[in-house]
Amino acid sequence: MPPALDLLNLPDADVVALAQQGRDAAFRELIRRYERPVFSLIYRMVRDRELAEDLAQDTFIKVLNHIDRYRPEFKLSSWLFKIANNVAIDHLRRRQLATVSIDGSPNARTSDAIEATSFDVAGQQESALDELEARELGTAIERAISSLRPEYRSCIMLRHVEGRSYEEIAATLDLPLGTVKTYIHRARHELRRALEHVREGTE
Amino acid sequence: MNHRHLLPDEIDLLVDDEVGFGVTPLKAHIRDCSHCRAQVEEARSVVGTLEAVPHFSASHTFADRVMAHVPVFVPWHVTARDAVAQWLPRSRPARLAVAGLATSTAFVLTVAIIWVATQTDVLVLASSAAGDQMQNIVYTAGRDVLSTVFGDQMFALIQRTGTIGIAAALLGLVAAAGASVAGLRALAGISSRRRA
Repeated sequence: MPPALDLLNLPDADVVALAQQGRDAAFRELIRRYERPVFSLIYRMVRDRELAEDLAQDTFIKVLNHIDRYRPEFKLSSWLFKIANNVAIDHLRRRQLATVSIDGSPNARTSDAIEATSFDVAGQQESALDELEARELGTAIERAISSLRPEYRSCIMLRHVEGRSYEEIAATLDLPLGTVKTYIHRARHELRRALEHVREGTE
Repeated sequence: MNHRHLLPDEIDLLVDDEVGFGVTPLKAHIRDCSHCRAQVEEARSVVGTLEAVPHFSASHTFADRVMAHVPVFVPWHVTARDAVAQWLPRSRPARLAVAGLATSTAFVLTVAIIWVATQTDVLVLASSAAGDQMQNIVYTAGRDVLSTVFGDQMFALIQRTGTIGIAAALLGLVAAAGASVAGLRALAGISSRRRA
């Protein structure tokens, strides 16, 4: 039995090295670190919780089953986001779901299913009015994100939700740097236009 | 720079908080131009809203479901290292003692192997003598068996015919033994059928 490891404080590359040595806890630590960002990216792409879980699961299975191929000069997160984006885009192309509703999964048939697959973005504001405004803005931003083209969506999510640089996004999505800048610029522009009425209403 | 409004790319530079010589005049421009300042602030507001969107959580069984499809393979060298580590003491002095003992043992074994290797002639001579001894024992035992079974005169005849005679005699002996066994089994079978 190997000695207990303090995985929480290790950098990704060290955790990956332990996973390559067959440490089950290291695999689980990698899942713990990236479960939410990967799931969120995919969820915002496909807008169906169950489907997003399946695609996120596929993403992790692909990465973890080929963990021996990981090269430490690259970020593990970039590899994960690349696979996540690819599985989501592949799915959207297959199903031709370029845009979907924020009000629930298109696969949802009952009111319960629609509610279960709807976004619930609550703010941390003090007053009910503030909370209402925050919810309105949260719903509006999610609606605006979901109305973007998938390639814009993944770029803007990686840039502003995951905090990646333009260069990292280009490497992650296999796109030229100029294309990434253009996509992000257009996405910001579309989001500004989509959020104009919300901002005007809250001012 | 001050005579025109900022281009979209220039607004992006400011929103992304880029630094460099090219950004300084842009910053100077938005200090004077309320239109461009509003544009930049609006873009920053959108970015701020985006950066505040939350992460979503997968179900609590997500990790288990992933791991159900990930066979964890422990490479042989890790298994070997773990097996060794299991036997090693935790404290540093004890580890040093074990390392010293292992080094001494390795040294003694190496010296012993080198000594044995230098004694090749002695080993060859000893193994040759042992081989001759074993051959004599086998030959004597075989001769005793054959002379007992076939008698001294027949054995002398077999000895004169050489290897072929000995082989034929042994073959005959085996065939006779086989026939005896088969005969005895047949008799036993007949006897048991009669009893039945």
